[in-house]
Amino acid sequence: MVKRLKNYVGGEWVESTATEYTPVVNPATCETLAECPESTRKDVDKAVQAAQEGFVEWRQTPGLNRAQYMYRFKALLEERFEDISRVVVEENGKTIDEARGEVRRGIESVDYAAGIPFLMRNDGTEDISSGIDETTIRQPAGVFAAITPFNFPMMVPLWFLPTAITCGNTYVVKPSPQTPLSMELVYELLDELDLPEGVVNLVHGGKDAALAVMEHPGITGVSFVGSTPVAKIIYETCTRNGKRVQAQGGAKNYIAVMPDADMTASVKNIMGAAYGCAGQRCLAAAVVVAVGDSYEKLRDELVRQSKDLRVGYGLDETTQIGTVISGAAKERIERMIAQGEKEGAKVILDGRKLQVSGYEQGTFVGPTILDDVTVKMGVAREEIFGPVLAIMRADNFDEAVDIINGSHFGNASSIFTSNGKYAREFKYRVNAGNIGINIGVAAPSASFPFGGQKDSFFGDLHGQGSDSIEFFTERKIIIERWI
Amino acid sequence: MASLNTFGAILTFAIDLETQLRDYYQAAGEGRRAEDADKRRVKMERVRRENVLEITLEAIEGLSEADYALNLADTSAGGKQAVEVVAARFYADVAPKLNVRVAQRALERCGKEHESLAAG
Repeated sequence: MVKRLKNYVGGEWVESTATEYTPVVNPATCETLAECPESTRKDVDKAVQAAQEGFVEWRQTPGLNRAQYMYRFKALLEERFEDISRVVVEENGKTIDEARGEVRRGIESVDYAAGIPFLMRNDGTEDISSGIDETTIRQPAGVFAAITPFNFPMMVPLWFLPTAITCGNTYVVKPSPQTPLSMELVYELLDELDLPEGVVNLVHGGKDAALAVMEHPGITGVSFVGSTPVAKIIYETCTRNGKRVQAQGGAKNYIAVMPDADMTASVKNIMGAAYGCAGQRCLAAAVVVAVGDSYEKLRDELVRQSKDLRVGYGLDETTQIGTVISGAAKERIERMIAQGEKEGAKVILDGRKLQVSGYEQGTFVGPTILDDVTVKMGVAREEIFGPVLAIMRADNFDEAVDIINGSHFGNASSIFTSNGKYAREFKYRVNAGNIGINIGVAAPSASFPFGGQKDSFFGDLHGQGSDSIEFFTERKIIIERWI
Repeated sequence: MASLNTFGAILTFAIDLETQLRDYYQAAGEGRRAEDADKRRVKMERVRRENVLEITLEAIEGLSEADYALNLADTSAGGKQAVEVVAARFYADVAPKLNVRVAQRALERCGKEHESLAAG
C-alpha cells in the first residue's frame, strides 16, 4: 500500500482530517510514491494554534540558543545530503546534480540563519535630546507561513523557515502537493532537533489549505513562490486579511549576447541557464537576444551544444536534463512550442515527442530552440516553464535593452559581454530584480535578497538576506529618559 | 562506458575510484595506502556535496570513464604503480574541466598524491 503522508503539528506527526488525497508521482517512472492529504481548514487551524502556543516560549529563547538549533540542523542536513537529493529527484524529476545544488542552497539559508545573534542587532543614539536616548530593537512578530512550489521543493521552504524561526517566530510550511516528500524528510530532521513543540509545523495540501493559510487571523505573514497569477491572488488575499506578504511570481528571463562575448563559454553557461531543471525555474533563461553580428555564431553554437545534451532519469549521474513535472506540464509546453511555430517562429531544435529508453512513460521534453522569435509572439512574452529557448535579434545594445524592458516580468536578466561599458549600462538600465553579468542564472546567495520586479514580485520585502530579517521581525523604537 | 559529462558524474567516479583503491590495497595488505584512499573518498564526497551550485552547473565534454579503468587484478608492484598512474591521469584530466576552483584544487591535490605513489 502506498504511504499516506501525515502533517507535523505541535511536535508530532498527525493524521490529516482530509478525505481526498493527491498521488505523488515520480515523473520519470510514473510510480506513485505516496499520497498527499488535501488538508482542511481544520488542519491548518490546528497547526496555527500549535504555532501560537509554541511562540510564547520560543520568543523568549535567547537568539544564541536559537542559533544553536541551526548548527545541529545543518549537521543533520549534511549527513542526509544524498538521501534528500535523491528524494528531490524522485518527486521532481530534475537531475541529481541539480538536486544536490538545491539542497546545498537550502543549507546555505541555514548557515545564514545561524548568524541571527548578529543579524538581529540594532542601533541607537544617545542624547537625541538632552538626556534622552533612542534605540531600536527587533522582536519576533508571531506565526509565519510559507506556501511553496514544486520546482524547488527542498530549497524554497528553507529560504524562509530557518530565518523566521531563528528570529523567534514559529512557522507553518505548506509544500506543493506534487512534491511533498523532501519536506517530509526535512521535518524528520527538524523533529530530531527537539525544538519546543509548535515551533515548526507542516501541513500538506493544495488550494484549500493554501486559502486557509492566507485567511487565518493567527498568521502574521506569508511567503509564497509560484506562478504570477497565483502570486497575485496570494498577495491580494493576504493583504486583505491584514498580513505582510512576499509573493514571488513567474518570469520570462532575457539574456543579451554581445558580439564581443566569448561565444563557446557563454553558450555553455546559457545552456545551463535555459535547460537546467528542465527550464522549470523562475531564473531560467527563456529568451536569448543576439545583438548585432553575434546572431549566426550564437545560433549555431547553441544548436551544436544543445543537441548533444543527454536527457534521462535524474538519478543517472550522466543525465543532463531530467523530466518536467507532469504529463500536463509536458502537454502545455509542447502546445506552446506549436503555438510559437504557428506564429512564425522556426523550431531549429525540437524536443517534442522525445522517448527515453526504459522510461517510455516519463514526462520528458528535450532541449528546444525557437529561432526568428519576435516580441509580438506569445513565446516571447509568456512563461513556458520548460526547456525551450527562444532566439531574438537586436541590431544594437539599446534595442536589446528596450526588448528586455518591454517584458511585463522582471525577475532576472543577464548579459554576456567582455565589454565593461555594456555590462555597466546593462545593470544600470535593465528593469529586473536579479542581474547576471556573464552568468546565466543570476541566483542570489542566502545573504542577499532574492530580487524581482514588475509581475515577478508582489510585496515590499523580498525573501532572503537583510529583507528577510525585516520581514520576520517587528521593529520597536525606544525613547528613554531617567528622571 | 558512460561519459563523465557532469560535475556529479566526475565526482561520483572519483568516489568510486577511491573506494576501489581502498579495497584493492586492503586486499593487498597495504593498510596505510587503503586508509589514504578512504580519506580521499571522504574528501571527494565532501567536495561533491559542498561545491555544486546551479549557477555553475555546465555540461562537460570530452571525458569518458573507459579511459580510466583500473586493473585491480594485478597486485604486484608493477600493478600498483599502474593503477596509480591511471588515477593520477584521471585527476589531471578532470580537474581543469571543473569550473569551481575549490573543487579543482581538491582534485589536483588528490592527483598529486597519486602521482607521488606512482613514482614510488
